[in-house]
Amino acid sequence: MAMRSYLLGVSGEATAERYLQAKGYSIVAKNFRSQQGEIDLVARKDEFLVFVEVKNYSFSNYRSPASAIRKSKKESIIHAARYYLFVNRINDLNCRFDVLTITRRQGSEPVIDHLENAFEVFGC
Amino acid sequence: MLTKVTSAAVNGLDAIFVEVEINSQKGLPGQTIVGLPDASVKESRDRVRSAILNSGFEFPPGYFIINLAPADIRKEGPMYDLPIALGMMVLAGLVKENVEKCVILGELSLDGTVRRVNGILPICLAAKKSGRRQILVSRENADEAALVEGIEVFAAANLREAIDHLNGERPLAPHKFDGKTLLKRSEVDDLDFFDIKGQSHGKRALEVAAAGGHNILLVGSPGSGKTMLARRLPGILPPFTIEEALEVATLYSVAGLLDSKHPLITQRPFRSPHHTTSDVGIIGGGRIPRPGEVSLAHYGVLFLDEFAEFERRVLEVLRQPLEDGQVTISRAQATLTYPAAFMLVAAMNPCPCGNYLDPVKPCVCSPLKTQNYWAKLSGPLLDRIDLQVEIPRLTREELTAQPDGESSKTIRERVIAARDRQRERFAGSPNFSNARMSSRQLREHCRLEREAETLLKSAVIHLGLSARSYDRILKVARTIADLEGVTAIKADHIAEATQYRALDRKGAR
Repeated sequence: MAMRSYLLGVSGEATAERYLQAKGYSIVAKNFRSQQGEIDLVARKDEFLVFVEVKNYSFSNYRSPASAIRKSKKESIIHAARYYLFVNRINDLNCRFDVLTITRRQGSEPVIDHLENAFEVFGC
Repeated sequence: MLTKVTSAAVNGLDAIFVEVEINSQKGLPGQTIVGLPDASVKESRDRVRSAILNSGFEFPPGYFIINLAPADIRKEGPMYDLPIALGMMVLAGLVKENVEKCVILGELSLDGTVRRVNGILPICLAAKKSGRRQILVSRENADEAALVEGIEVFAAANLREAIDHLNGERPLAPHKFDGKTLLKRSEVDDLDFFDIKGQSHGKRALEVAAAGGHNILLVGSPGSGKTMLARRLPGILPPFTIEEALEVATLYSVAGLLDSKHPLITQRPFRSPHHTTSDVGIIGGGRIPRPGEVSLAHYGVLFLDEFAEFERRVLEVLRQPLEDGQVTISRAQATLTYPAAFMLVAAMNPCPCGNYLDPVKPCVCSPLKTQNYWAKLSGPLLDRIDLQVEIPRLTREELTAQPDGESSKTIRERVIAARDRQRERFAGSPNFSNARMSSRQLREHCRLEREAETLLKSAVIHLGLSARSYDRILKVARTIADLEGVTAIKADHIAEATQYRALDRKGAR
């Protein structure tokens, strides 16, 4: 079971990569981890650095991208994003947090929902 | 990048100008508001975001620090939504003009509509005083703002209009509103003294009270018409001057009670709080003190029906504003002074069952009960009430008769004439009515003729009047003489004034 959902995640991230590249993003990092967080994909487009969280759903338990992220997940992504900016010495780019949901249904193409600017960092 | 927008904060009846400083930097997205914001200011983050997006603009990327300077004054209310949104638009390059010279205030709705906020009038007055010439507000606040002459008021319906105005693409025309003609046009409402049958004594007492600004207590059985009489009092008070009207409107603006369609209060206020109202409700208060009923009745009438049913502490807190014409409220966060120059009209039954003075119905109260009922009204409080009048129940003949008294208009003309005499008399002193004469002014302006003096002396002896009552009678007699239009106080003026000391005569105290 665990293996199956891991494989589902890996194939989902591959789908997401293809989707983002088709939209003009270039992928700069995958599965970036900090001590207390992780980010599925880091992408660049224009002057934006985008941190993307990819979520896979089967059709029966579909969720909208807006409701896919819980508080703890958000904190984990923000932590990793801060760390990413720090280790790569980036301070001249506007950043954004996006959420991508991929919904699969047997026998048809997966449906991708892309929510730009899904959440923000409040306070510092 | 940094931008500054001017806004304002209300502090009591005064306003302080607030610089909304916004700094944007690249990095993770988010906003922080600093400068002692309260919850409603912090929430503006979400309103501003929705309003910008729903007005068809991109929300600018980056991290924003929003500072409301000076940072040591608490900011409350949603009026900073519009300045924050416009500041962000400046940083996004969508507003190019310098926005610092205009004072900007407004709440934003999620769809980008600019909504009304409280306290616009004091802010406009302060803007005029400090030499700021332009103010940008919501449509609903426009009339209120335009009451202040000498500043340009721009009214934006939504965020887009505000942006187009500041960019000079579609400049808004300065909003005009004529308060003075509105004030002149205001007529006495349909509550007229003509409708009251009988009660000529009560009507006359109210006329005297109105003419001299005296406080009055009406004592009578249930259904005798105390409330009916009191409600008609504002109709015989002299009309507002524009300064008075603006002062009252400022108070109502701060309290958030101003009607956006009729921003100028043209009728003297008539406040009748229920007898369960707390002392804070009467005097004002709260974390950051708000005006209470005494201040909302400023330059008007505070009517306390069922006077003896009010809580004792409520009655006692009335003493200080009755004396000073203002209240100072101290709380941990602020100490504020609100004006409270009101006329007190109190009404009560003569005993708990209400039939004590009734010629027909028997009173079923024990003497002790009646005594306790009256004991609630302390001596110092009753001392501040110049006129105490009995309002008897109407007889059947009076009830079925056609009303034949004078109309409010006729009475009002006499009151205005009497007030004019007082204004002349007290020219140059802060006092403006007979009721507020100091003891020095009393000696100066209430000299009695020999006959009058003899009468007053005998009244003092026979009725056992106190020194305070003596002064009260003199003041009321002065007003009665003013109503008649004569300078000297005659014996019949004293006689009438003595009539209005019902409690002294009855010995009910």
